[in-house]
Amino acid sequence: MRKGKKKLLTIGTSLFLTASLFAGCSGNAKTGETTSNTSTEAPTVKEEAVKEETVKEATGIDTSKKVELQFYMLGDAPKDLKLIQDEVNKMALEDLNATVKFNFTTWTDWDQKYKLLLSSGQPIDLIFTAEWTNYQSYAMKGAFLPLDDLIPKAAPKLQAYVPQDFWEAVKVDKKIYTVPAIWKEYVNDGIAYREDLRKKYNLPKPESLETLEQYLDGIRKNEPDMLPLADTEVSHVDSIRQMTTKTVNTNDKVPYGLSIMYDTPRDVTSYWGSPQHLEDLKMFRSWQEKGYFMKNMLNIKDSGSDIFAAGKAAAILGSENPNRFGDAVVKVKSLHPDWELGYSPYPNMKGFSSPVHPIHNGFAVPRSSKNPERALAFYEKMVTDKRYNWLTQYGIEGKNFEIEDGKYYKMLGDAQSNGFTREGMNGWAWRNPEFMLFDKSYQAVLDMFDEMDKIAKPNIFQGFGEDWTSYQAEKAALLQVEKQYLYPLNDGMVKDVEAGLKLFMEKAKKAGLDKIQAEYTKQWIKYLDDNNIK
Amino acid sequence: MFKKKGFLYELNKNRIMFLMIAPTLLFFLINSYAPMVGIYYAFTSYDFAGGLFGSPFVGLDNFKFLTQSGILLKLTINTLGYNVVFIILGNVISIGAAILLSEVRGKLFKKLSQSIMFLPYFVSFVLISVLAFNMFNADSGFVNQLLKSLGFDPVDIYNTPWLWPFLITAFYIWKNLGYSMVIYLASIMGISDEYYEAAKIDGANIFQRIWYITIPMLKSTFIILLLFALGSIMKGQFDLFYQLVGNNGVLFNVTDIVDTYVYRSLKVNFDIGMATAAGLYQSIFGFVMIMTVNYIIKKINDDYALF
Amino acid sequence: MDDNILSSRVFRMMAYLIITIFSLLCLFPFLLIISGSLTANESIIRDGFHLIPKVFSLEGYEMVFIFPAQLIKAYSVTIFVTVVGTLVGLFLITMAGYVLQRKDFKYRNPLSFFIYFTTLFGGGLVPWYIMLTTYFGLADTYAVLILPGLMTPFLIILMKNFIKSAIPEELFESAKIDGANDFRIYYSIVLKLAMPGIATVGLFLALTYWNDWFMSSLFINDVSMYQLQYYLYNTINTMMFVSQMATGTGVTLGRDIPTESTKMAMAIVVTGPIIFLYPFVQRYFVKGLTIGAVKG
Repeated sequence: MRKGKKKLLTIGTSLFLTASLFAGCSGNAKTGETTSNTSTEAPTVKEEAVKEETVKEATGIDTSKKVELQFYMLGDAPKDLKLIQDEVNKMALEDLNATVKFNFTTWTDWDQKYKLLLSSGQPIDLIFTAEWTNYQSYAMKGAFLPLDDLIPKAAPKLQAYVPQDFWEAVKVDKKIYTVPAIWKEYVNDGIAYREDLRKKYNLPKPESLETLEQYLDGIRKNEPDMLPLADTEVSHVDSIRQMTTKTVNTNDKVPYGLSIMYDTPRDVTSYWGSPQHLEDLKMFRSWQEKGYFMKNMLNIKDSGSDIFAAGKAAAILGSENPNRFGDAVVKVKSLHPDWELGYSPYPNMKGFSSPVHPIHNGFAVPRSSKNPERALAFYEKMVTDKRYNWLTQYGIEGKNFEIEDGKYYKMLGDAQSNGFTREGMNGWAWRNPEFMLFDKSYQAVLDMFDEMDKIAKPNIFQGFGEDWTSYQAEKAALLQVEKQYLYPLNDGMVKDVEAGLKLFMEKAKKAGLDKIQAEYTKQWIKYLDDNNIK
Repeated sequence: MFKKKGFLYELNKNRIMFLMIAPTLLFFLINSYAPMVGIYYAFTSYDFAGGLFGSPFVGLDNFKFLTQSGILLKLTINTLGYNVVFIILGNVISIGAAILLSEVRGKLFKKLSQSIMFLPYFVSFVLISVLAFNMFNADSGFVNQLLKSLGFDPVDIYNTPWLWPFLITAFYIWKNLGYSMVIYLASIMGISDEYYEAAKIDGANIFQRIWYITIPMLKSTFIILLLFALGSIMKGQFDLFYQLVGNNGVLFNVTDIVDTYVYRSLKVNFDIGMATAAGLYQSIFGFVMIMTVNYIIKKINDDYALF
Repeated sequence: MDDNILSSRVFRMMAYLIITIFSLLCLFPFLLIISGSLTANESIIRDGFHLIPKVFSLEGYEMVFIFPAQLIKAYSVTIFVTVVGTLVGLFLITMAGYVLQRKDFKYRNPLSFFIYFTTLFGGGLVPWYIMLTTYFGLADTYAVLILPGLMTPFLIILMKNFIKSAIPEELFESAKIDGANDFRIYYSIVLKLAMPGIATVGLFLALTYWNDWFMSSLFINDVSMYQLQYYLYNTINTMMFVSQMATGTGVTLGRDIPTESTKMAMAIVVTGPIIFLYPFVQRYFVKGLTIGAVKG
């Protein structure tokens, strides 16, 4: 077995080598171009000079000087990146008289590096943005160039392609700082559970808090060696909110213990310290006593999904969105064919779902960019030109992937031998629904998305960018208080819940909770007003 | 001849020595002193358009998050307390181990045990925390299985704060023993044999030899380790604390140090100004500490002073 | 001779006993790691660690060796950086230590302070990063992996102390009278007599280079220039990101990674080679004493 694998690897490598030798030709064939590019230097330059004229007209920007664009994405570079980059550059040189260098931050300390990249002033032309990279906060502090005037000039096609309300939604202080992705996806969580065990012991489907408790109880009684819940740290807390309220957010939480309901977004109240909060904490305590959780969930290093996937626990509340659940199903099918997984998405319990907000995936032009126009023109190509798009999303057709049944993506080889797997460049931001290819097994996830589409309401929460400058110190202090006094309550580690909550509220107030909540509420209401959300 | 001469005279007299130390000075000038302009970040509210000197000056605002909930005093006491224990216990144990090892005769035993004691140095705290959880957790931990089989009640170690100062100290010593022991061992190697010969002639026994020769000869090494430890007495061992304790708030009262607090507070909204401010507090604390101690040492015996 | 005295024999017995206990305490977790690296990931998560693997598997090592060419490349980068950095650094450190302990070098105290001061105050990561990338253009070079780690104040002062205690003052004076210049004294006396100290400092320096991942993380974009520790550490971080951050982002990894057993296998792969370095250094700790012991 192992020997075979190794052999496959060597074959893969040599294939890779041969492919790279021929890559030049196939690239040209695709662009419908003759061999001019691969011949000597001189004619190429001449030809470029001729082409400039047409290019200029097409894009309305000055492309007379050849430039190299610096492109930054989070995560790890795919193995064949260089190959793809060369292919892209062949086209970009011709279309825009530019080449691009794709850089990746890796996931090690990515947030710190992201900050360094933006504050060091080194020339960067395109960088990924999302709400989880603090897009709004960076934009407010002047890290990115405003794009309002640049886009119509440098990327008119892109401007038309992104719907107007998306452009509106990504505005920070009334200016556009990022090019949003328009593919609609859902990243809300749900309860993932063991359907096979549920059937075996004839338990109800966990589709509400009540049935969930029955399910957990049944597992506890029938499978004494199994943990009912795989959740670690405090991931279950937000899930319970999703399950029992119509809270405005789809993931994570409304910060600072505030409570905002979707239908009445202007009523901002404090969840922390409320009777409901006490009740929830008491429930967590009882869960701990009944043994639904593991005892030291604040310290365990394995992730909840690993614990669930290893068969140690029977359900997980806090980390399975449709994408990840789809992944888990595929994995389980191969490793434990006798298991069966079930899934109850929280939107079904809330009665509505919200797709991700436009700021969830985007690309911005940092202040340090030397060629903002060319950068946008290039990004337009990545999004709207199928050749660029496919190359940077799926790799080289026939080498990295092929098309199955006319519409499905099929990876060639396996994850090890294939140097560019699907979305190998983490190209979440330049997904173009028209060109997108999906793996066959992904159909289940798409079906889930379709279900959610039926009950979808716009995401009004994610677009809100909080400006914490005025309460930065309080925010930092509160974060500590929350971990010190609330986390143990959340995990049912404190015997006297009422006294524990009182102590937490006392400490939180001392850290400046009231000021933070008031400031946040003020900004939130202003955001609602600015965006005409009633 | 006896008149003190100026810098140029010195430079000329010791030009070879100046040349020998010049690369080192240049190294620190560039690698350490030049970036110190960044200390100014501590007093600004950073924005990208302005950069280091163009961002608005905010005075001491960035220090506020340290003092906000009156937590600074507790953090300072914790950090000091742990470091003092680490310095004393760590040095005593590694001096002891070095002396024991130097007195042992078996060559293979000596080599083998030395190598083994170095092993923990290579184990990252990430792994240590995984193993610790495996040992201590209340559900299936090794320690509790043992207690149960011996007929004792299980202990929820992660919910028992008073245990943790001991555990953390034990892990610290366990991990660093091999490293600091080598320093002392090398110092013992440097002691000239003549001293021992003389002692033998005088009829000193093994304890007297250790007490009157070995230990006094380790004094200067100890003082160097001490001074370096004191300079960073407000910092240090972030991984040890962060990996073992993580986000377990139950233990914070006895395990939170300045570094872990800063990390937790700024993780979500990492702010250059606030991070620099916290570092500056640690630096100034260490600076005052070190100047005082060095001054005292210099009074007692100039030879042992660091500078 | 004093070997026959009862107190000495009891003392040595105790020494053996105590050191054996210490060693076992240090060895035990390492055995757990070795066993963990040979256990199936699911079994680690389900059953925890045991001295004998419950479900034997090599999946951790398979993950580490998934791209053998890259791993070998990372090894060679680390070896290159460690060797060059240690040799150059040791040369500079011994020179500096030597000069700083010379009594007739007038500025030894202010310069010691100049060096020591950098352990107290620092400007933080950002200006340093900007300096190395923008002003010196060191991003994606081997130089950036080596240069910033050449010296630390601690090692210089430690070296100064080792030289001071190993070489009597009179030796320098008599050498000077013989007409040797300062570099010659360093070269022919210090480098010979301070070997235990030099070996120690060299070991520490080599370990720092060997364990470094931070330089690669900050300054290296090109996978083929990653240091070993970073190459491996990054795999762990990718797994952690996907499990922690990814829920709100919809990111999936698309392949199954045996997280726990991989971590353990990495520790073995990283530690293994450097342990072989130790016995070389050890010579200097054992030899001197054997002579002393024979004489005593």
